[in-house]
Amino acid sequence: MNFTLKKNSKLRHNQSTFDESLLLIFFALLGFGLVMVYSASSHEAFSSGNSFSYLYRHLTYILLSLTATFIVIQIPMKVWQALAFSLVIIGVCLLGIVLTGLGKEVNGAQRWLTLAGFSFQPSELMKLFIILYASDFATRKSGELADFKNGFKKGFLPMLIIVVGTGVLLIIQPDFGSMFIITVIAIGILFLGGLSWRFLTSLVVLSGFVFWILIKIEPYRAARVASFMNPLDNLWSTGYQLSHSLFAFARGEWLGIGLGRSMEKLFYLPEAHNDFILAVIGEELGFLGVVSTITAFAFLVAKGFMIGARSAQLEKYFSSLVAQGIAMWLAVQAIISMGVNLGVVPTKGLTLPLLSYGGSALLVSCSAIGILLRIDWENQQMTKGGSV
Amino acid sequence: MRPELTNILSIRLSPGRSRLMLLFIFCGFLVLVARALYLQGWHNEYKSTKQPWLTYTEKLRANRGKITDRHGVPLAISTTVNTVCAAPKQVFMSKVERTKLAELLQIKTTLLERRLKQKNKGCVYLKRQISPERANKIVALDIPGISFEKEYKRYYPKAELTAHIVGLTDIDEVGQEGLELEYHNWLAAKPGERFVYRDRENNYVDEDLDRFAVPQRGHDLPLALDLRLQNFAFREIKKAVVNNQAKSGSIIVLDAQSGEILALANWPSYNPNNRKTYKPRFARNLAVVDMFEPGSTVKPFNAAAAIEAGYVDPNTEIDIGNGTLKVGSKQITDTHPKRGDLTVSEIIKVSSNVGSAKMAFRMQPEDLWRTFSAVGFGQYPKSGFPGEARGRLREYNKWKKIERATMSYGHGMSVSLLQLARAYTVFTTDGRLLPITFVKRDALPEGKKVLSTTTANAIRAMLEGVTQEGGTGTKARVPGYRVAGKTGTAHKIISGLYSKNNYYSSFVGFAPASHPRLVVAVVVDDPRGNVHYGGEVAGPVFSEVMGKSLRLLGVREDNVEETFTAERKFGQVEG
Repeated sequence: MNFTLKKNSKLRHNQSTFDESLLLIFFALLGFGLVMVYSASSHEAFSSGNSFSYLYRHLTYILLSLTATFIVIQIPMKVWQALAFSLVIIGVCLLGIVLTGLGKEVNGAQRWLTLAGFSFQPSELMKLFIILYASDFATRKSGELADFKNGFKKGFLPMLIIVVGTGVLLIIQPDFGSMFIITVIAIGILFLGGLSWRFLTSLVVLSGFVFWILIKIEPYRAARVASFMNPLDNLWSTGYQLSHSLFAFARGEWLGIGLGRSMEKLFYLPEAHNDFILAVIGEELGFLGVVSTITAFAFLVAKGFMIGARSAQLEKYFSSLVAQGIAMWLAVQAIISMGVNLGVVPTKGLTLPLLSYGGSALLVSCSAIGILLRIDWENQQMTKGGSV
Repeated sequence: MRPELTNILSIRLSPGRSRLMLLFIFCGFLVLVARALYLQGWHNEYKSTKQPWLTYTEKLRANRGKITDRHGVPLAISTTVNTVCAAPKQVFMSKVERTKLAELLQIKTTLLERRLKQKNKGCVYLKRQISPERANKIVALDIPGISFEKEYKRYYPKAELTAHIVGLTDIDEVGQEGLELEYHNWLAAKPGERFVYRDRENNYVDEDLDRFAVPQRGHDLPLALDLRLQNFAFREIKKAVVNNQAKSGSIIVLDAQSGEILALANWPSYNPNNRKTYKPRFARNLAVVDMFEPGSTVKPFNAAAAIEAGYVDPNTEIDIGNGTLKVGSKQITDTHPKRGDLTVSEIIKVSSNVGSAKMAFRMQPEDLWRTFSAVGFGQYPKSGFPGEARGRLREYNKWKKIERATMSYGHGMSVSLLQLARAYTVFTTDGRLLPITFVKRDALPEGKKVLSTTTANAIRAMLEGVTQEGGTGTKARVPGYRVAGKTGTAHKIISGLYSKNNYYSSFVGFAPASHPRLVVAVVVDDPRGNVHYGGEVAGPVFSEVMGKSLRLLGVREDNVEETFTAERKFGQVEG
């Protein structure tokens, strides 16, 4: 921040600040995540030697991610817009590289790239890049998007190619969850950017059909959908994880059984510190903890849309779409992740943004928050007559 | 890639679409809240009661109570043993270690491997109840996944000596036989409980201290038994059975005033510590659960009944003629040489069947039945021993004439040795039948008055005659003490008929006759040696056990004259 202030003398007079409530909720989520990751992982970590091992790693990720946030805040939105297309191409290339010998396979999915000792998931990065690209695209091609009859070739085809290409690369990994998120974000941004209803309908129908096919051809996905309906019937097989997640919530009741006292995390509930962190929150902190978490995300999302609306008023359409896109992304991923935990969405390995353990996801979501803060800051600058 | 000015100006983001999108998202959040409310706010199928694998109630064991003799010598104790458990998923060991482990567990390597193959189980028993020394050696092997559970195992230090009385428990210390069974609830430990949380790999995590219940050790059970007397009794009955090549033998020593069972032994016996050699037929406490026809040992009760009813007195003469008596088609015979007129006392002394039968004919059948019932024949002795025999005494109105005769000398009815021994307490007291017990008594029992004091004293005097010169029980004498008793030689019933050569040889008596202290009852089943008379077979057993016991208990001698005679004979003069 100071760095920016020194470079631009005008800012000194206007004294723009970052949105306090957004910062607060951001840090609160990170801190809460750290506590819960420690709570959920300590027993598993303990039995492999050091109960702090996940805590330390998560703390390292948070520090790295905050550094990324700080760097991202320095970058003007026009730079992002200028780089949007290049970034999405880089993203696609990285997704391609993951599938080659350079990628690392974990649990049957080839999702990781190892760089200088750090494992990284390009699919996470791709979520942010697709937001930037779709926003830029919608801004530039708004005319064509609104015109179903003539706009297809110029206004729609390039976007379709990028999304379908990304989707195909992700499905090879396979990473059904990320593919779903990316598709939803892309369609969502185009919708906000003025995509004609007929385009939208055909897109939703088409992608719905594709997802249905994907579920049908992979038996394990169909089994997950089936067991999600009646987890207790498949308690010792496909319904195991979900059943234990639901047991965790049920045990928590209104106020929870107390921080650190979860039983389900004792190897009963797999991925407790990762995809199923809300179940541990539900067990240890009860309904209160779950509702607080949901409220925090709702607030974050609302904040994103408010910043987006402000940008739209200021006719900064790219920024507006990016802000809303980020909000949408956090919303969709949070809802699906929490929905999986609560058993309202078929079991799908998705992390809870900002809370779950995991380096790449945290780094990218923190960067996204950084962009939100930047957009808000730029909005303030513009209102006060500054230039960016 | 710079946006063209015209396009930027032409774009119009619709606030409506944003709001629609936001509304849509918030609906999603609301669904989540509703679902959480349903899962956490209301009781439903996912409540904790449905998850038995999360927590375990662990039984905490404690010592079963000790069984001791009257002086506190332990007869049954619980020793700490270790049960070896394994979490199959966590066990890793080399071939050498496996062989060593199997060796220490005393099981085959293949069996060990089979048990460890049950990977789906959190914990399997490898071997139950091994000694702490062995357990320590297994600990030293330091194999991961092996744990130990503390258990208790019943141990009987006196083994076959007290096996029939004490009985035994199963591997879980539940009483199965004998007093272990009868007093199980008293002896049994009250197990405690521990509510433990374990992780999926069965590691201890935490426990609920509010639900902790301390285990309570069982109560001790001091028996009336005197182990020293038990030793004499056991040794002598074993010797008698072996020497007489008999099938079995039993002996009971009662306290003549308290009714406590001071010793009770049967041969054959068994070692309750070795379950491999256990056979149910050796485990029967014959003295309590087996019935036999008592024979002449009931003659004193016949005489007592006749005296009580006023038909005879001890000096009434009864003509036994040539020693035979025809009753219907049956003939009763005497084995002793006496003929002619015999007093009631003499009839008892020489054990005359004819005399007893003639006495019985003087009475109504009811008179005899009443006395027999009053001294406990045909009644449960209520000793507190599981499966005790009731004996058989038919209703007097169903007696045939011949039965009135045979009943008077102990045939046509059956008793257990315990019943017989107890019945004699009416002569050791002033006609009171004492309640008997295996458990130590604090106060003398009142007993039930069933005979007049005069009758009881009269019979006691007659019984003393049995061991005097010319009586059938001279072998039962004890130097220094006046001994009263009665011999019994009953033909065994084999496949429904009285056998000519198979007998129950018995002797029941008490001493010192002046102030009775002990009742000793002996029966030997089917002696195959040179002798078979009760006085010859059971008499010496009685004499040995009674003599040693009285001296051990320091009972004052009441037959000083005889002692002096004996000493003079061997030239040992005191002083």
